[in-house]
Order: sequence, then structure tokens, then C-alpha cells
Amino acid sequence: MSMFKLAVQNFKSSFKSYLSLIISLSFTTIILSNFINLVSSGILDQLGESQAKNIEISIQVLSFVIACFMLFFVWYATNVFLTKRKKEIGTYIFMGLSNQKIGKLYMIETMLIGIVSLIFGIGFGILTSQLFTMILMKLSNLAIQIHFKFTLASIGITCLIFMVIYLIFVIKGYVNIVRSSVLEMVSANRQNEYVRQKNGVLLIKAISGIILLGTGFYLATKEAGMEVMGNILIAMVMVIAGIYLLFGGFIPFVLQTLAKNKSFLYKKERNLWINNMIFRMKKNYRTYTMVCVLMLCSVTALGFGFAMKNRSDNINHFENTYTYQIMGDGAGYRDEFASLIQKENEIEYSSEIEISVIPDIFTDNAYVNTPYAVLSFSQIKQIAEDTGLEFELTEPEENEYIELGHLYLMSLAGDNVGTTNEINKKVYTSVAYVTIPYLGYFQEDMEYMIVNDKVYQEICQLGQTMYLYNYKLKNPENLELSVEDIRSDPHCGGLVKIDPDRNENSWINILFSVSFFVFMVFVLASGSILFMKIYNDAFEEKERYHVLSKIGIDKRSLNRAIANELRVAYIIPLLVMTIASFFSIKAIANLMQSASLLSVNILSVAIIYIFFLICYFFSKAMYQKNVE
Amino acid sequence: MDENTVLEIKNLVKDYGTKGFKTNVLKGLNLKVNRNDFIAIMGPSGSGKTTLLNILSTIDKPTQGSVILDGKEITRLKNKELSKIRKDKIGFIFQDYNLLDTMTLQDNIALPLSLNGISSKNCIEKTNQLANMFGLKEHLRKYPYQLSGGQKQRGATCRALITNPEIIFADEPTGALDSKSSHDLLECLKMVNDNGQATILMVTHDAFSASYAKEVYILSDGAIKCKLSKGQSRKEFYDRIIDMQASMGSDFS
Repeated sequence: MSMFKLAVQNFKSSFKSYLSLIISLSFTTIILSNFINLVSSGILDQLGESQAKNIEISIQVLSFVIACFMLFFVWYATNVFLTKRKKEIGTYIFMGLSNQKIGKLYMIETMLIGIVSLIFGIGFGILTSQLFTMILMKLSNLAIQIHFKFTLASIGITCLIFMVIYLIFVIKGYVNIVRSSVLEMVSANRQNEYVRQKNGVLLIKAISGIILLGTGFYLATKEAGMEVMGNILIAMVMVIAGIYLLFGGFIPFVLQTLAKNKSFLYKKERNLWINNMIFRMKKNYRTYTMVCVLMLCSVTALGFGFAMKNRSDNINHFENTYTYQIMGDGAGYRDEFASLIQKENEIEYSSEIEISVIPDIFTDNAYVNTPYAVLSFSQIKQIAEDTGLEFELTEPEENEYIELGHLYLMSLAGDNVGTTNEINKKVYTSVAYVTIPYLGYFQEDMEYMIVNDKVYQEICQLGQTMYLYNYKLKNPENLELSVEDIRSDPHCGGLVKIDPDRNENSWINILFSVSFFVFMVFVLASGSILFMKIYNDAFEEKERYHVLSKIGIDKRSLNRAIANELRVAYIIPLLVMTIASFFSIKAIANLMQSASLLSVNILSVAIIYIFFLICYFFSKAMYQKNVE
Repeated sequence: MDENTVLEIKNLVKDYGTKGFKTNVLKGLNLKVNRNDFIAIMGPSGSGKTTLLNILSTIDKPTQGSVILDGKEITRLKNKELSKIRKDKIGFIFQDYNLLDTMTLQDNIALPLSLNGISSKNCIEKTNQLANMFGLKEHLRKYPYQLSGGQKQRGATCRALITNPEIIFADEPTGALDSKSSHDLLECLKMVNDNGQATILMVTHDAFSASYAKEVYILSDGAIKCKLSKGQSRKEFYDRIIDMQASMGSDFS
């Protein structure tokens, strides 16, 4: 029989046990191909060029994240698979096959799994592409004509990513088999040896894990201005390594210490489940790490989505401070414009202000298109009074100014307090930075210096003065009605109308819904990995529970032991995730300068807990069935 | 039934299969085990040894007849009560040891007692005491995979003894052991029996093992064919068992 035939036969006969693996791999492929297709199909072009570009970039980033996830998943799956297969195909050694041949057999078989998953994944990906786009657009509140289109490019890219990742691990498995000794091959399944690990090694692992985690958490949440991004990257690596060491060192260490204390151990069912836990931890700590990191990723993804949305909502609100902003050719036309507007509309509030724009010849300004613009303190105070905006500034001294800026979607720069501007040979130092939208939309593209009134009087001689009149309508939807009236006024030098329905940041909404999607994928994946692992273990445990009931241990204590063991098995990764997510969400909030995302954190963690609770009950029922 | 009787089997019948295809495995078996007995049951394969042991250990139910353990009729009890009896009154020793590979020998031995809610101090004391008796003191911290078959079986015996059961059922305890380990184990069993610590009912096909018992019952075709009692020496007893086996002519393995 040829190698290939043998492999195909093996594959067929154990198709059932591969099924869970194939389903999970296919599911990942479906999502990945859909993401890639969304970009390459050009459906998003309907949103306009800049919007589409933004969405494309964010989806590409997410595709990358999913590809990384795939890497993890394939790594995990082939690893589990390798130990299982080694023993089965290892017996061919007795038939005189060389390690190379057995490795080849493994490779062909594993490739078959990969190819089947890929075909399923791409096939269902094509079938579900329209549904996927529809759900996404619905979630993002975007109106787009959705038509069926699946590009060859997206199929090609998906295949390429999948095959490259898959091949790496298949070859890794091959090398592993070729390098194994005969004994190892035949007894690969005897994992029941070396249950207890050396305490010293565990302690070192535990301590370095805690140090890594602590440093990671610190770096992630530290305020570091421009270095935030780098810090977060380092923190990410540290936290992942820390979690790995926590499960590989700290938790086994704690459990082993508990197991050594016999007066603790010989109480209730502890003897049974703590020993089982130690045994399982040794085998499964990589799985726990992965599940934990996956959950952390999912929570962070959701946090990121919410932070973006939060930010975009703020910006929206910021821009909509006023409905009309009119440039007048002189002072004192506030009532004139108001009466024109009131012909058709009701005004909720209004304000006026002088802006003095200083030509660059008088200043040290380094930027060509954004000259220094100076405002007087008392006028800003007046605006706050007129509009009801918050005002907590104290008047700057003669050589000081307050910087008035806008909200960024994402900014790595800290505030500029302490920087200096020079106007007309005089140096002014920034003492505060505010982002309250006193100037509404006008504050979007420029930063302003608020100086005290005396200084303003001096400086405004140098520059050109603009007169800005701002009006907020009671019903901003009716903004078109008064446009003609305002434009007819001879003193109107320019009008900016801000449509509340205009949505420049709608691509952020899509990002938000995609992040929710990624969250769900990750949570499902992490839950099912843990479930799959426990499902596999349950079969192994069957014999053990059989022994226990044979020696007369009653079902109720066994059930209690099982419940305890599974509870701990589910709770430990959840607990680690909860703590780590607190920091990662905080880091995201820092990075995005967003409001506190604690509620997002709580919500996403709660969703995960509910999902895991369901998994726990399923696992428990499955385990306890084994006892009967 | 007097006070000294631990186990009494009356007219035990067990059939397998449905009407028309019935197999009579046990055909009205009677047996009485007194406190501090050491009984070996021998018989060719198919004679009903395993069925008998399954019924005695409450895993299986008889078609007819009664089993009275410590004054209680156990064939008509509910599951919950049965598991209580298994837990409190019976100790088991199996051919394949059945130690849990996830825990140390010490934890294995202590397991039944610790699950019974006995104070951990008591558990530790009792474990150490039994381990000393069975020569396992140095091996308590080892895992089953680090132990030899004989050590494992002695460990399993400790586990069976730790709850002070009324009776110990041993199912081919030496079946997987070499002769040296068998000898060690049987000496241990004999010792605890002589000390008055255990009543033992052992099923075996091995005449050597059986010769350690005080009495040997030969089971054949679902009923007890004969009973041999130990005389002066084990050697002489062994010869008599062999003679009996030879005279019956069937394969005892």
C-alpha cells in the first residue's frame, strides 16, 4: 500500500475525532476570508474614498489579528494532535518503517485535515459572505448596497495565509517525529509519568511570571507620552509570557504546596480533585495560557471598539456645539444675524468672539498653514456664560497662555503644557490645555492661545481680527432654512453650517461593530478550546472514575469532586483574565484618551463569564455521566 | 446467624440471558464466612467465581437467594445504601491494583478514609501505620508509576484495609505478580488476618495463593464442590489443593 493510501485510510477511519478540529479551523477561515473579501470586493467604495480607506486599514489590521489567532490555534491543535498520533502511527515502527516514513505519513494525514478545513472554510466563507456583510453594515448603521461578490484575490490570500501557517506546524511535527526515539514514539501516550515537577523550577517560573506580569501591567498603564505605543507592545509580550509562566509555574506550585500539606489535603474531596488538578495542570497549562490570552484579546478588542466609538461620539458632539458659525466683517452684528435666523428657526444659544490671527513674521511659528490665533480670556469667559459650557480657567499672567485645542481620535502626544510661543519678541508659556469646544467646529483644525485681556489688546494690533458669530438652533435639522437669509446679509463674510446627520466618522462605527465581531469569535474560540480539552480529558478520566466507584467511593463524593475540579479549571483562567483585562482596558483608555472604559470591561467580562458558565455546566454534565 | 458471622450466603442463584437462552451461572450456593476467616475460592473458568464476587461486592444482583453482610440483607437495598455498605463494610483488592496514577501512594491509601470525613490527623496516622506494616514506608511519596507491581498491590491492600472493613474481597490479587511479590503480598495478607485485623475472601485460580488461606472452597459449575481446611503446614495444604485440582481434572486458570 502506498504511503498516501495509508494516510487517506487513517484519515477516513478517524474522521470523527478530527471533526472538532476541522470545524474550528474552518470557522476561523470563514471569518478571515470574509474580512479579506470585504476589503478586496470594493463594496466599501460606496462610502467614499477616505472612509473606505480608513475602514480598509482597520479591517486589514483585524485580518492580521485573526491570522495571528489562526497561528495560535493551528499551533495548539497540531500539538495536541501530534502526541495523540505519535502513539498510533508509532506502532508502524514495529513493521519496519523508518522515522522519516512515519513522519511523512503524519504529514500527509495532517495536510488532509488542513485541506478539508480550508475547503470547508472557503466554501462556507463564499456562501456566507453576503450575510456577513449585511450583519456588519446593520451593526454599523451604514447604508450600503450589498451585492454578492467574492473575489479570487480574497480566496488566494486566505489560502496563502492558511497554508503558510499550517505548513509551518506540519513541518514542525515532521521534524519532531523524525527526531523522536523509538521508545518515545511507542509510549507517547503514557503521559502519566512525571506528575510532580521540581519545586525549585516551579518557584523560579512562578516568581519570574509574577515579575513579568507586574512589569507588564505597570508599563501598559504608565503615562509615557510618545512612548506609550512602544510600552504597550513590550507590556503585551510581557503579559503573555507572564501568563504562560503563571500557569506553568505559579499555579502548579500553589497546588503542589497544597497537596503536600496532608492535613489540608485529606479533607472532603480535596485529595481527589487537587491531585487531579495538578496532573491536569501539567498537561494543560499551555491550553490555559492560550485560552486566557485569547479572552484577554477579545476583551481588549471590544474595549478598543468602544473607545473608538466613544471618541467619535465625543468629536461629533464637539463639532455640533453650534449649528451656524458666521464670519462677520466687523464687531456687533450678533443680533442682526440672530434676527435673520429667527425668521425661520429658533435659537437655543449664541455667542460671539474676536480671533486675532498673527502673521508669521511676528512669531516663531514653525508651521506654514497654521498661524498663531489669539483669543482674549474675558471673551472666552463670556462664551461660557452664553452657551452654558463648562469654565474653570483662571486668567493667565502676562507671559502665559492657555492652549485651546480639540479632541483627537487617537493621539500619542501628551498635552503641551510648558511649551512656549514667541510673539513679537515676547515669550509666552503654556500653563493649561483645554478641549472645551468654545469655538465649535472652528476649533477642529487649529489651536488657539487664550491670553489675558491686556496682552490681547497689545497683540491684536499686530494681526488681523476675525469676528466669529455662533448660533445653535433648537432644531438643527432645519439648518438649510436660514442659509439663504444669512448669506443675503452684506456683513456675512462666510458661513459654516454643521449638519448633525453628517457623519465623517462612520468608519469608526464599522470598526466598532467589527471589534464586537472579533470579540465574539475570540470568546467562542477560547470557550470551545477549553471545552474541547476538558471533553478529551473526560474520556481519559472515565477509567479513573470507574476505579473509584469500584473501590466503593459513592457517586455523590465523586460528583462533588468533579464539580470542584471543573470549577477551578474554569475559574483560574477567568480570574487571571479578569485581572489582566482590567489593565489592558486601562491601557486602551490611556492610548485613546478615552473616558473610563470600566463599564465596557465589566460588560465584556460578564459576557465571557456567562458563556463559560454554560461551558462549565456542559462539561460537568459530561463528566458526571462518566461516573455512571 | 450468630454474632461471629460476617457474611452468609443462602441458596444463591444467578441466571444470565433471557427466557429460552438462560445460562445458570450460580446454582444455589451456600457459604458462611466468620470473623477472622481467610477463605480462598477456587474454580475453573466459567465456574462462577467472578459472578459470585460481583454479587458479594454489590455490583451485581442475584436472581434468587440472599446475601447477608454484617446482619443486613444486601440484595434488596437501594443504590444509596449499597454505596454506603461498599464504603464502610467492604474493602477491595483487584488483580490490576487500580491505584490512581494522579496521586502519590500515600494519597492513594488515605483516599477512602479522607473521603469519609475522618479528620486528616487520623488519616495520616492510619496511613503511616499501615504503610509501616506493609513495608511501604519509604515509598509513600512515590507515584504508582515509580513502584513495582508488588509494591502497588501492597499499597492497594493498605487502601482496602484503611477503613477497617468487615470483610475484604480480593479478586486474583496475585494474578499480575511474580512469585516473589506474590509471596510477599500473601504473607502480608496472612499477617493482617492472623493479627485479627481482617476477614478475607479471596478468589484465585492459583493453588499457591490459595494455600495461604485457612479454608479453600472449590467452586465448580455454579456450586461448591468441596471444602479443604488447612492442616499443620502450608506445604501440606498446598499438596492437597493440587491433588484436588488434579482429581477434578479441569483447567483452573
